[in-house]
Amino acid sequence: MASCSATSAPSLCSLLKLNCRVSSARQNFLLPPLSVSRKPILSPPSLSFAFKKIPGIAPRRFSESEAPEVEAEPVPESEPAQIVESSIEVPKREEVFAVVVIGSRQYIVFPGRFIHTQRLKGATADDKIILNKVLLVGTKTSTYIGKPVVPNAAVHAVIEEQGLNKKVTVFKYKKKKKYRRNIGHRQPNTRIRITGITGYQDSPAVTLDSL
Amino acid sequence: MNKAKVFKLAKGFRGRAKNCIRIARERVEKALQYSYRDRRNKKRDMRSLWIQRINAGTRIHSVNYGNFMHGLMKENIQLNRKVLSELSMHEPLSFKALVDISRNAFPGNKNVVHAPRKVSIPVDV
Repeated sequence: MASCSATSAPSLCSLLKLNCRVSSARQNFLLPPLSVSRKPILSPPSLSFAFKKIPGIAPRRFSESEAPEVEAEPVPESEPAQIVESSIEVPKREEVFAVVVIGSRQYIVFPGRFIHTQRLKGATADDKIILNKVLLVGTKTSTYIGKPVVPNAAVHAVIEEQGLNKKVTVFKYKKKKKYRRNIGHRQPNTRIRITGITGYQDSPAVTLDSL
Repeated sequence: MNKAKVFKLAKGFRGRAKNCIRIARERVEKALQYSYRDRRNKKRDMRSLWIQRINAGTRIHSVNYGNFMHGLMKENIQLNRKVLSELSMHEPLSFKALVDISRNAFPGNKNVVHAPRKVSIPVDV
């Protein structure tokens, strides 16, 4: 389902390094962040920044794309029996990210990964979706900041599955009043795989050199 | 709920609360009440954490959190605190661009205090 399109000024994003190895997350909600460390997304090509690269414990928010699409290091072939090429071919994904609003929640999305959102009514599996409320787009060299929305930017996604969250036990109890209720609850959700981010190129941007 | 379910929920409890049904049942009920309350508290705690992180990120650029958010509101930038804290951690350049936009929109007061620089003191052995 397409949300209403809105115009926004493009913004400048820092670089996005997609080397994060991420375990699949149930919800795109920031779990206790102290236990999660992630490499900085973008590394500026010309500037040197002081931030340290933390050996990646993958952030739990973002999900991993299919195994062959993850950037793999070249595997040196030492066995003489195999005649394959020395490096595994990995399709290059454009290094860009966007902040998108779905169901009045904001998510940071990358192409090729999936997110869990609130249940989208009337959607079925393998539906193509265009999300128009894009608040910020970031590439390796520039950021497009929306006021409030980046004009003409669109995030393309495919609905993968309409499922339910993990069961939560809602237990209500009042002492000395003989009141207790034990209720289970599973919130419906939708898993969406992001396929691409387009339409931000013409918007005003903040580029690396101007910072 | 029956005893098996109670014991399953009582894993990791201290002392007899994980073994003896009378004590375990009380402790499990208390745990479920706490989880009901804390599902609401978690939202408050996370927001507080995001604000602390944004504050730390903006003070590197000599802007404090209040002025930063005021500038963003003036510019009608509707990024929420969750996303802002993520950007401040992992996208320093994007975040600096946002701080610059906010500073242009609302210069604010000049009394921003930076965190004291840690100076290493040589130890005489």
